[in-house]
Amino acid sequence: MFRLILRRLAISVAVLWLVTLLVFVATLLLPGDPARAILGQQATPERIAALNDQLGLDAPVWQRYLDWLGGVFTGDLGTSAASQGPVTELLGGRIGASLVLLVGAAVISTAGGLALGTWSALRRGRAVDHTVSGLSLVVAALPEFVIGVALIVLLSTTVLPVFPSVTLAPPGEPVWSRPIQLVLPILTLTLVVTPYITRMMRATMSEVLDSGYVEMARLKGIPERVVITRHAVPHAIGPVAQVIAIQLAWLAGGVVVVEFLFRYPGIGQALIDAVNNRDVEVVQAITLLIAGVYIVVNLIADIVGIMTNPKLRAEVAR
Amino acid sequence: MSLDNHDTRFSRRKFLLGSAALAGAVPFLSACGGRSDAAAAPTGPPKRGGTLRVGVTGGGASDSLDPHSPVTNPDIARVRNLYEPLVYRDHDFEVSYLVAEKLESSADATTWTATLREDIRFHDGRPVTPADVVATFRRIMDPDDPKSGAASLSMLDEVTAAGDRQVEFHLNEPSAVFADYLGQYSLGIVPADFDVAKPVGTGPFRAAEFTAGLQSRFVRNPHYWRPGRPYLDELVLINFTEDDARINALLASQVDAIDQVPVALVDVLRSDERMRILSSETGTWLPFTMRVDRPPFDDVRVRQAMRLIVDREQMINQVLAGQGRVGNDLYAPFDPAYASELPQRTQNIAEARRLLAEAGKSDLDVELVTAPIQAGAVEAAQVFQQQAKAAGVNVRLNRVDTTTFYGDNYLKWDFAQDFWYTRNYLPQAANGSLPDSPYNETHWQDPEFIRLVRTANRTSDTSRRTRLLKQAQRIEHERGGLIVWGFVNQVDAHQVYVAGLVPDRTGLPLSGYSFGQVWLG
Repeated sequence: MFRLILRRLAISVAVLWLVTLLVFVATLLLPGDPARAILGQQATPERIAALNDQLGLDAPVWQRYLDWLGGVFTGDLGTSAASQGPVTELLGGRIGASLVLLVGAAVISTAGGLALGTWSALRRGRAVDHTVSGLSLVVAALPEFVIGVALIVLLSTTVLPVFPSVTLAPPGEPVWSRPIQLVLPILTLTLVVTPYITRMMRATMSEVLDSGYVEMARLKGIPERVVITRHAVPHAIGPVAQVIAIQLAWLAGGVVVVEFLFRYPGIGQALIDAVNNRDVEVVQAITLLIAGVYIVVNLIADIVGIMTNPKLRAEVAR
Repeated sequence: MSLDNHDTRFSRRKFLLGSAALAGAVPFLSACGGRSDAAAAPTGPPKRGGTLRVGVTGGGASDSLDPHSPVTNPDIARVRNLYEPLVYRDHDFEVSYLVAEKLESSADATTWTATLREDIRFHDGRPVTPADVVATFRRIMDPDDPKSGAASLSMLDEVTAAGDRQVEFHLNEPSAVFADYLGQYSLGIVPADFDVAKPVGTGPFRAAEFTAGLQSRFVRNPHYWRPGRPYLDELVLINFTEDDARINALLASQVDAIDQVPVALVDVLRSDERMRILSSETGTWLPFTMRVDRPPFDDVRVRQAMRLIVDREQMINQVLAGQGRVGNDLYAPFDPAYASELPQRTQNIAEARRLLAEAGKSDLDVELVTAPIQAGAVEAAQVFQQQAKAAGVNVRLNRVDTTTFYGDNYLKWDFAQDFWYTRNYLPQAANGSLPDSPYNETHWQDPEFIRLVRTANRTSDTSRRTRLLKQAQRIEHERGGLIVWGFVNQVDAHQVYVAGLVPDRTGLPLSGYSFGQVWLG
């Protein structure tokens, strides 16, 4: 199994490298350059020349890429053209802020999705099941910005003004120091992700509940709670883990839209700003991070899949 | 600029119109007065104290506190409250005196002398000296790192100190309206030892905290020269990149005021009794720009036809939801020399068709480059595309993003748009209508026009200058490359308890970001 994980890790590193190359080329292909983007309408040739000189943008493209790649290995993500400071400094606090969103949404939606899926599988064909299925279908069909705007109207501005609609942490103070500001962004992400997990859990759980070993366990007179937690759920988890992984990986990207909507000071907002400024090094750092989350989450899902499937577990061990 | 000016506006305007307006030394009248144009706003004398939280559009990681290179709205808002130039255009677009109390020109308009206000101090308590002013302009015009104000100060040769309160500006060519060039927010006076890490100026607020791309917190400047000002203890400026987030923050009372309300949402906010809309008539314009040196617009008949195609009323109604005034293919509407006597151009499809046929371009097909450079820009292009169909002109829209628009091809597009704040005629022409202008989008270089503008620039006599400028405008109105379809109102919003914000003609949002005059009821 270790060999498998090692091989997967090696592939992951290669994928990450490819991602950096693609993003670098893509950002360069965008028309406009950082100096013009930063100076805006007031860009005169003299000012552009002065800024290009300061930012070291005169160097050839391949040299800039190699410099950046060399820096990554030593933990130096380069210098942001827009802020003219280190990228690590620019992103430091923002990564933490985005992680709070991600982890919050991941924990709530995973627990909620598994519970809801199991519950509706147990009540298959009844009103509860139909309601959960219907609602999850509707919510799954809505894009995150629609859910976000609907929540703002419902819970912040018009109907019930309970939660703040934008995040306004004073500089220096972490966003989680005012938890009430996290409610709407996390709720939005949770609502986007939960339906998929719920539906998948319901489907696999229904299958498992129909299987012979569950029937056998019930016939042996094992209490229903134990049947579900000991016999049914572990079998259902494997396939669901894959769906959860895809959803969590999606969260890493979906956070961009949600952060934009709620003015949340995370990496998503920084990414939009960096693309507008053609700030290649910041775009690189953030995409590397998002790609990293994708890869790690998928790797974990594979491992969970292997661990929960005795057949695979044995095969890999051999 | 201030509440006080409101009371004295009419007499002052008459005086300014009738005299050598820009060189005139109008004493700053300081007397506190009441004000009543915002309905149901808090009344009575201004109250001191409190924190104003303002949501400002735009900004990002490139935000800075540099006094001399503001780019985005949050940059401008910060610069307006931390620093002050020698003179500035007030809410009525008339020259008012900030760091200087007087600005006079020599008879030939080649030397201008500014007298600094007595007892004016920087945030750290040090007095402002002529040496500081000289150093400020050296910083702005630094050849290795020119700041954004440098481009329009090309006529400035040397700045020297003269005596303990006077500064002389020596020009390399006469400029009768040099005060206008000095009255820019990006020319704030800073100490000789200025360091952007310690952003010291003479503005009503001092910098306390600043995080690029997020927000800044300023506190009262105890040394401010205007007695009693500012009223607020604290000013918090918060960046918003997204329209909805900004509006929602206002509706949820997370901020007290926001700039740039999308015109479609004006009625929504108006129906909320906790909110007030601040709509200002400005000289801000969003022209279509036709390159006069490239086909098809090198033929004056094609340019005239394009100008006749525009239904200006419809533009104002559809693009700006009525928040604007029609334009007459001329800029600088608040300039005393504005050629209001020229007939208003209106849509005339038959005449446009005739001109196009005459030019041999009956089935004209052009590409219009558009970008969301300002609210309404893309919409204006779309409306124009529809209107052009009536005259048989096919307009293809090439929509790009803002960075691309201002990228390598900016000033090279054959047919595009641009965006300008309020300026008077000569500064605007220097910026965009002369061969050596930094932003001559239309590549306009009419010899007769150039001669008139150059002469006017040297002419101190107001009535003679006005005559020359009217002639220049006649030429632009007849054969220029700009389609100035209208002037855009600046629409902002604030909570009802915010007092002291008044309509402002400069085009900058929220009374020109003059938060020194704001108080909370």
